Amino acid sequence: MSEPHSYIGFEEYSQRIPQSIPAAVQQATSRFVGLRAARVAEMPHWEQLRQLGSDIRLHTIENLDYYLTKLEINVQAAGGIVHWAATAGDARQIVLQIAKEHDVKLAVKSKSMATEEIELNHALEEAGIEALETDLGEYIIQLAGTGPSHIIVPAVHLKKEEIASLFSEKLKIQAPADPAVLARIARETLREKFLNAEMGITGANFLVAETGTLVIVTNEGNGRMCSTMPDLHVAVVGIDKVIPDWETLTVFLKLLARSATGQKISTYTQFITGPRKEEGEFGPKEFHLVLLDNGRSKILQDSVGREIFKCIRCGACANVCPVYKHVGGFAYGWFISGPIGAIFAPQMLGTRVARELPYASTLCGACADVCPVKIPIPKILRHLRKRVAEGDVVSGPAMATSIRATAGLVSLALAWNWIYRTGTRLLPSIMGVFLKDGWIPSAPYPLSRWTSVRPLPRFNAQFRSWWKNKLGKKDTSR
Amino acid sequence: MTYSVIESIRNSLGRGTGTPLLRRPEIFPARQPESVDVEIDQFLNEVNKLSGVGKHITTQEIAERLKELVCSENIHKATLWDTDLLKQLGIEDLLRETGVELISPNASKQEMELCDLGITECDYLLPETGTIVLRSSNKKPRGVSLLPRIHLAIVIPQQLRADLHQVFAEAKDAHYLVFVTGPSRTADIELTVTLGVHGPKELYVWMLKGSI
Repeated sequence: MSEPHSYIGFEEYSQRIPQSIPAAVQQATSRFVGLRAARVAEMPHWEQLRQLGSDIRLHTIENLDYYLTKLEINVQAAGGIVHWAATAGDARQIVLQIAKEHDVKLAVKSKSMATEEIELNHALEEAGIEALETDLGEYIIQLAGTGPSHIIVPAVHLKKEEIASLFSEKLKIQAPADPAVLARIARETLREKFLNAEMGITGANFLVAETGTLVIVTNEGNGRMCSTMPDLHVAVVGIDKVIPDWETLTVFLKLLARSATGQKISTYTQFITGPRKEEGEFGPKEFHLVLLDNGRSKILQDSVGREIFKCIRCGACANVCPVYKHVGGFAYGWFISGPIGAIFAPQMLGTRVARELPYASTLCGACADVCPVKIPIPKILRHLRKRVAEGDVVSGPAMATSIRATAGLVSLALAWNWIYRTGTRLLPSIMGVFLKDGWIPSAPYPLSRWTSVRPLPRFNAQFRSWWKNKLGKKDTSR
Repeated sequence: MTYSVIESIRNSLGRGTGTPLLRRPEIFPARQPESVDVEIDQFLNEVNKLSGVGKHITTQEIAERLKELVCSENIHKATLWDTDLLKQLGIEDLLRETGVELISPNASKQEMELCDLGITECDYLLPETGTIVLRSSNKKPRGVSLLPRIHLAIVIPQQLRADLHQVFAEAKDAHYLVFVTGPSRTADIELTVTLGVHGPKELYVWMLKGSI
């Protein structure tokens, strides 16, 4: 298991999310949902491709020792140096040691989930090394000192005006609230850093065992900069990222961008096999691959839960999730959010620390429908709920007493017709007190738990009379 | 005993050291290409859709097109791959004639950073996505397609491949490959698409007509 982590109180976090988040996150998710759908519609064999993606990932997981051994041999044959990190602490130590040996003062980073997982930036800064995020969104949230609200667009919750004042304050310049100008400022600021950094740190989207190749996908080009400009390239990658060969890679490159951003392919895809071969070609003199276990190998014991490792980190599950859309990335309390985060954190950190996350879902199944590698997320959520209920749990499921009481009342009302009828007659007058333009923007406890995140629509509790009327009309028309 | 990741994986999966590898699933067959003309059209169409500028030109037109590019994009410094086709086309001389200063492709990153234009060829083209595929060597340095604010790739129909399968079959021995599909882009601020955040702001792809 991963190192100790503080309790993830999804329920509590989701009550405290800034007001700007749901609207911004929904804007991002609905755009990606639309773009993805358009790309998928162009692919006649999409469903077969998903099945194949799922089969290959499962095959790789079931033979993970074989492929990792092969990967190690081939990275070494290409002149790269392989390190095995059993824990997050080991991984940090390895990277710090490499940095120390090369007298690194400035490191540039491209977006990497694995380095978030091991909290590398913090460790580097403590060691006196400046570690700079270079993906524009990551750079912005690093300046702001917050976490990501969305996997693909981490700073989507910030308005351009907020980013402009952030740039003005931190970079001591006059920044206008214009996305193009802000991007240019970031380009110029980071360009200098790319040229001066002694170390580039990246993750990887895939590791190809056949040749020991690192595959990195980006749109901005910062991934290319980080792996090309400094003389030293260190990649920190989870052991689950390995795939058998280039032939299987064709499947994942077709699935990834379409599912993530709704592009046919991302702007830049790099295939890196070892360090540079010739002095003048650019690229690092030295290449290190840190393979991170951090509890993954233990999770493999669980034949249901281990399907999490099929994940190719596209974020499509989050974009369709009704829960995620209303709370955004912050509420999940760890670096991977959305439905995939809800099955990742409890397995990695333990169901004690993340026991609320398996319940952060309606089990509607939208995530499983869009997952490019067919991870049965609802099934794993139920499996984890069982573990929470039976296993290493302190208290019961994360449903508050007040909610349970309300749910109990509602089901009672529905069962007893007279309570229902009285209730529906009384409701309009009670509701009238809180009504504003046909919505209820705030309501007393326990309904405040809903209205603190979004307004409640006006109740139209006339179903039975509406149904009776409808039936009556039908009868007369016959 | 030291902790071994591989050992731990084997324990969890119940696989011994001698357990044979299961057969991996079969992959779909490769795509069948259309005629060269259709493939060229599709390729250039995709480049243009992604805010790149894809053009089909003759070798005779190159001098004029380069002059136009130098003027319209205000180019003072340029760098280019040290490869046969670019030499054959006389790109260096054409640029000098228009008053552009040339920087060696093996120059330092600080020098190359100051270039307005980087010119490359490419190794393979993917028509379905409008992708150009570049290898890397002393004569084909990675910085040329990355550091200058404009990237121009001069390509020929012989570089067209049906799909990823073909490219990978030919290129998996390469120690470095990059797929370039359109100019550098981001939508990280309020989902507004902005070009040229770290890589080139503009991508020109000139497909040469006829025999070279």
